[in-house]
Amino acid sequence: MSGKMRILTSLVVIAIVVVALGVWIIRGPGPLDFAGGPKVALADYRAGKPTGVPAKLEKASLVERGEYLAKAADCMVCHSKPGEKDYSGGLGFKLPFGTLYSTNITPDKDTGIGNYSDQDFLNAVQRGKRHDGARLYPAMPYTSYTTMTDEDVLAVKAYLFSLPAVRAKPPENTLSFPFNQRWAMIFWSAVFNPDTRFAPDTSKSPEWNRGAYLAEALAHCGECHTPRNLGFALDNRKKFAGAITAGWRAFNITSDKATGLGNWRDEDLISYLSVGHAPGHGSASGPMGEAVDHSFSQFAPEDIRAVVAYLRSVPPVPSPDLPATTAPVAPASHKDGVTADARGKQMFASACASCHGWSGESPVSPMATLTGTWAVNDPAATNVAQIVLSGTKRHTPDGALSMPAFGNAYSDDEIAAVANYVTARFGTKGSKLTAKDVAELREQTAE
Amino acid sequence: MHMATVLTINGETKSFDAPPEMPLLWVLRDVLGMTGTKFGCGIAQCGACTVHVDGKAVRSCVLPVSAVENRAITTIEHVGSTPSGAKVQKAWLDLEVIQCGYCQSGQIMAAAALLAATSHPDDSDIDAAMAGNICRCGTYVRIREAIKQAASGRQS
Repeated sequence: MSGKMRILTSLVVIAIVVVALGVWIIRGPGPLDFAGGPKVALADYRAGKPTGVPAKLEKASLVERGEYLAKAADCMVCHSKPGEKDYSGGLGFKLPFGTLYSTNITPDKDTGIGNYSDQDFLNAVQRGKRHDGARLYPAMPYTSYTTMTDEDVLAVKAYLFSLPAVRAKPPENTLSFPFNQRWAMIFWSAVFNPDTRFAPDTSKSPEWNRGAYLAEALAHCGECHTPRNLGFALDNRKKFAGAITAGWRAFNITSDKATGLGNWRDEDLISYLSVGHAPGHGSASGPMGEAVDHSFSQFAPEDIRAVVAYLRSVPPVPSPDLPATTAPVAPASHKDGVTADARGKQMFASACASCHGWSGESPVSPMATLTGTWAVNDPAATNVAQIVLSGTKRHTPDGALSMPAFGNAYSDDEIAAVANYVTARFGTKGSKLTAKDVAELREQTAE
Repeated sequence: MHMATVLTINGETKSFDAPPEMPLLWVLRDVLGMTGTKFGCGIAQCGACTVHVDGKAVRSCVLPVSAVENRAITTIEHVGSTPSGAKVQKAWLDLEVIQCGYCQSGQIMAAAALLAATSHPDDSDIDAAMAGNICRCGTYVRIREAIKQAASGRQS
């Protein structure tokens, strides 16, 4: 080998090592690596049954089991557009580089998944590979679903195939180059999709393992609550530490006492997940509200408890931009407390005060109480602005409680003013939103 | 089939069948025939539907009945028998506040709740309490004057 060749070869080897090391560093740990205990194959796990359906459905039909699992995996929210038939797709996800539309997963042969074989369906859900061989974008959380057992994935398929076929073709994606190159997802997938099924951790309780399966494989909590790395995959070094998704802030759900769930009581977490509200912690809205309505509220009580047990074990990661404690109740009189921002105050008086009160404790319902919520204590005011823009409707066992959407009634300037007033009056630190910030938030919400 | 809902309205116990998510305004007007409370916008932005729940002014159009069981509801039909409501109604008549009248039951309910909490409101208190009650006839000047008169107890 000549000297030149040797140098060239060494450079290539060094380059490969650097790239491999870079990929390895960016990829980081897997979603369950924090637990650290010995893993066994599911077939060898005897302590409990972490996968499948809860005990009351053990004897149910395949379709019924699939329905429970499809709800637990929350397929419907992304694969349905408001006002259109369930699971017929077409919901638009607005990304910085274009809009991605969800697909029709009803059994229609032309526009849905009616021609999918069992293997096709497994390939899509666990490997991000479409029937025609094309790659799915990871907006479809197949890196989470990949942990599901084949049996559970196929139960979901049986359920979807039991639904009426809907003929509906979603709009074409409008992604710009290079993001419109689906084939590039082969490399993304090779690096970021572990393509492995759930393996129980024998050092943990059966309840924890059930919770891990529900939270990771099905509910895919991390897809919103875990920040993303350079490759737009989940950065599990900061597992569940919070992130912005679809224009809403998914807050820290680690066990951090100050800014995570560490100081929530078990009953608070159970209530938040099953009815979308926990006293003193606020109500689920935006994407989490949908997750509660369509997914968590349908969980068996023991499954909710398993998710809670699992969440408790996630290592604490603080959110440095959030205050250590949420602000106390604001004064009852409009004259006391925050007085700056006359425009925000005027908006609050005319549009908000009759339901939320001047103290932040709602005269109407605890679900409308602002005091104690992360939304008003977030100095970025992301979710305050979002809920003002798009409103919310929560279905609880006692009925529905709703907040109107003000996005079409007020200008970006006005919405920024009221968000800044609300965070200053009811939170620890007022936000400094501008009309431009609100315009950007409008751009990001899925529709 | 719904469980019978029991509400305490104007001191009386009312029992009726309604879905739990039905807004209180619908119950008042359509189920119980108490049409003094008006429908305006349906999204808590005009104040025409204002009633008192435990003495506080709230918008009945977005309030599911399930949220007000076991709480004291007062409507325009009865507010005249509360001390602040009586003062407000008298001042309203003395100053002839009303023009078309559609928003006025809401205005009176909001003003009565204000006076019950703040016996001598200044202009900023009136702004804070009344900003959510819209009047398309523009009676705002007379509303402000009537609230002040009701608070002072003076006669016109």
